[in-house]
Amino acid sequence: MDDSKNKGTATHSIWVFGDYRNYFQNRVTLQLLSRANELAKKINAEVCATVFGHDVDEYVGEYIAHGAQKIYVLDDRKIKDYNVDIYAGLMVRLIEQHKPEIVLVGATSFGREFAPQVAKKLLTGLTADCVGLDINDKGILLQTAPAFGGNLLAEIITPERRPQMATVRPGVYREIPHNYHATGEIVRLSLPKDLPKPRVRLLSAERQTQREQRLEDARIIVCGGRGMGSFKRFRNLTELARLMSGEVGATRPVVYAKWASQDALVGQAGRQIKPQLLFSFGISGAIQHTAAITGTDLIIAVNKNPNAAMMKLSDVAIVADANQTCLALIKELKKSLRG
Amino acid sequence: MYGFEHERGDSLDFYPCMKHKVIRKTVREFAEIEIGPIAHDIDQEARFPWEVIEKMRPMHFFGLQVPKEYGGADLDSISYAIVIEELSRVCAAIGLCVTVHNSVGLYPILKFGTEEQKRRFVPLLASGEIIGAFCITEANAGSDAGGVETHAVKDGNHYIVNGTKIFVTNGAICGAPLIFAVTNAKNSKKAASVFIVEKTTPGYSVGEIEDLCGMRANPVSSLFLEDCRVPEENLLMNLGDGLKIVLITLDTGRIGIAAQALGIAQAAFEASVRYSKERQQFRQPIGSFQTIQNMLADMATEIDAVRLLLYRACAYKDAGVTFSTEAAMAKLSCSTAASRVTSQAVQIHGGYGYSKEYDVERYFRDAKVTEIYEGTSEVQRMVIARAVLTKPS
Amino acid sequence: MKFVVCIKQVPAVSELPWDPQTGTLMRDLAEGMMNPACKHALEAAIQLKETLGGHITAITMGPPAAEEILHEAIAMGADKGVLLTDLRMAGGDTLVTSHTLGMAIAKVCPDFDLILCGCHTSDSETAQVGPQLAVELDVPSVAYVEHLKVLGTTLTMRRLADNFLETLEMDLPGLVTMTTKHYQPRYVSLGDLNDAFLAAEILILNADDLGLDPERIGIKGSATRIQNVYAPQAQKENVVLKGAVKHIVEELFARFGDRIAGAIGKDLDGRQ
Repeated sequence: MDDSKNKGTATHSIWVFGDYRNYFQNRVTLQLLSRANELAKKINAEVCATVFGHDVDEYVGEYIAHGAQKIYVLDDRKIKDYNVDIYAGLMVRLIEQHKPEIVLVGATSFGREFAPQVAKKLLTGLTADCVGLDINDKGILLQTAPAFGGNLLAEIITPERRPQMATVRPGVYREIPHNYHATGEIVRLSLPKDLPKPRVRLLSAERQTQREQRLEDARIIVCGGRGMGSFKRFRNLTELARLMSGEVGATRPVVYAKWASQDALVGQAGRQIKPQLLFSFGISGAIQHTAAITGTDLIIAVNKNPNAAMMKLSDVAIVADANQTCLALIKELKKSLRG
Repeated sequence: MYGFEHERGDSLDFYPCMKHKVIRKTVREFAEIEIGPIAHDIDQEARFPWEVIEKMRPMHFFGLQVPKEYGGADLDSISYAIVIEELSRVCAAIGLCVTVHNSVGLYPILKFGTEEQKRRFVPLLASGEIIGAFCITEANAGSDAGGVETHAVKDGNHYIVNGTKIFVTNGAICGAPLIFAVTNAKNSKKAASVFIVEKTTPGYSVGEIEDLCGMRANPVSSLFLEDCRVPEENLLMNLGDGLKIVLITLDTGRIGIAAQALGIAQAAFEASVRYSKERQQFRQPIGSFQTIQNMLADMATEIDAVRLLLYRACAYKDAGVTFSTEAAMAKLSCSTAASRVTSQAVQIHGGYGYSKEYDVERYFRDAKVTEIYEGTSEVQRMVIARAVLTKPS
Repeated sequence: MKFVVCIKQVPAVSELPWDPQTGTLMRDLAEGMMNPACKHALEAAIQLKETLGGHITAITMGPPAAEEILHEAIAMGADKGVLLTDLRMAGGDTLVTSHTLGMAIAKVCPDFDLILCGCHTSDSETAQVGPQLAVELDVPSVAYVEHLKVLGTTLTMRRLADNFLETLEMDLPGLVTMTTKHYQPRYVSLGDLNDAFLAAEILILNADDLGLDPERIGIKGSATRIQNVYAPQAQKENVVLKGAVKHIVEELFARFGDRIAGAIGKDLDGRQ
């Protein structure tokens, strides 16, 4: 690989891996470029992006327009399909050569498989699925990641190893609006001659219809926990959701009790929900914290116990019997929505 | 664990071993997932959930202490008690079905049967293909087994059995219940016998299912035996051994019922703790009031105490020593605890505790009968008092 | 075929206290259970073994109590259990965990055909150990697999990744991480469970048995450090509604009706 350009006045670089599949729904790379710019100011760094694939100029342009000051491009037919093995190897070489301070990867399915391999090959630290990134007073990346389905948040640092790596959840940060006048340095590299044969081969890939994403795209989610008491009562939530054209979400114990299917499980890693309106019925934990931090407009929690974690995180905390409240809401909506 | 090896060393281990912990978790998970969601409804509808029984069969729930060669799980008695407790914690009626099947429907055949009888019946019972039961009680014979009127008269190489058994647990679903019948009318106390009566026998019919206060998902019914021709190969042990079989069987049965009562008490207790944390009155959770705290403390202590009595009876049984008194103490104390704890649980829940929206009223209804069947608390006291008074001082 | 299934014991509760001194979660306070995704991975291995024949080694790294899940694994159908336990291994991040597991597998089952892991654990949820273990052992890997099939020395897999339903092929030996979508774990029969405790082949190894460098394991060897763990704080202006349900609903619609209506996308008549 050739790279004879100099870095400019920045002392460090923050890299963002360009994950451009599903470009219109998946904005995580742009979101990370935005955050990287804010972090870069604190440690005097330049923001770079990496793009691997074939015929990728469109994305190169996009990334520059959304905040990348420099882009490393590897464009070759041989790597047109995403392949964790191959891309990880290429990324490791690039990193070893240019030694970025921080490398950020979107926590897409690909990112969550790709980043650990890169980190392991470099023997450096990686924090998964971050919901927060900052620079602490020692100039180190402070990574905030959830644990226990979002019931806990952990602040993690990689004190010594480099680069500091993190995968970040889509939806945590807002992208910088498209700037037509932005310019950036494009570094085109060529594929190394000794690229290994892929040990994993993609036989077919079918884009899935929106159906699969029901919960992730829902504007209104009615979430229920074991506190609903019984399958019959839980079903009332389905009616409530239906009236509002929303989706039903469930906690793990509910799915376990088969009151709801696995598809309805909320609070699982990698399933980011971002509704505008969220109801939480009879849930004691804070599993919906993940929603709470991504700008849900209105969170209404209903629980007999005013001290339940969810009651503290919501905009409205209704201290009442979950089922009774649900039935009353159904009654009210049936009246009010008739017009 | 058999014989007197346990008397060596200094073991009196109160800490549960890994195996017991895992058995408890396994059964609890199964019960909560498969039975939990329907427990309320099957009680309301008095429906026996065959669909769950089908799932339980391959898991050895119907052959818990049966040796492997007959297709059982060969569990020790404490494991057995844990299984019954965990089932009963979610649904006492199912726990009842399983313990009656194992302890009094199957166990006597295993313990007293000939090789041929064991071969014929135990695998079918252990796999749950046939559900077991033991029929003693009649209209005039409750605590007084001597009042039994069902009789069996020899006719060639058969016995003709006539009589009516009432309040038979698993009555409507059992396939080869054990029938306690008089076989010598002149001196009935000494001459009763136990027969395995297959339900396909002409003259065997099931009465209406009882409409009971609790255990409603269990199909308790009467059994009518009208001139049933039972082959002599179905006589358990010998003619006249009936009372002996019953007394020994009931010792094991009492362990099962004690475990069942314990499960009910545990469920009621857990519900009370949860409710005490959630329910607010006077601007604080009711669990912060000393009255409630005292209630919970007493419940917790009582449950732990009777649990240890139960496990002691189990340990004695597995060690091969007599355990009648210990079993009676376990049954007496666990059932008393269940009634007390469930009543207390309803009280803690207040008005909600009286409503079918919550499970505690079901625990309350289910608990009561544990003081009555398989020997009333009064009979248990008789057993214990006799042991106490006949012990040389 | 030789299978290795990595399983982890996770707390069976969702709230666990945090020990500020050691910077780790106080795991011993909770009952443990086999991580659900790991259980699905084990079930997948058992189903493959039932079709293709072979041997399954279940391996776990944790405190001595983690031995429990090895017995469960054997009851389900694994042939052998390996427990890696050592205080020095505690608190390690995925980098050192994958190293430790890799060294153990190299020792107890070096000629493995397929390693199966759960896609992530319900406590730390990093989903990193699988891929990093594959790198440690220098074998190919595929994560988030829903369904697999073996043909000779090739593994065919189906998975949903980033909105693509993918069919992939991998040369064995390799590693997969399994989701909970398929391979519902079978219920263990009580007889099998009993047997798994009476006569189980369980090997217990510590850091010395594995020849591990104490500097490369546990908290010491980790690249990342947890500085702080906290429960998310309320950051919202919280409105509390109490009283009769009927009045609560009225007040809710009175104060928030337009926001609710906005989200629904329809008008709510009369309530404003």
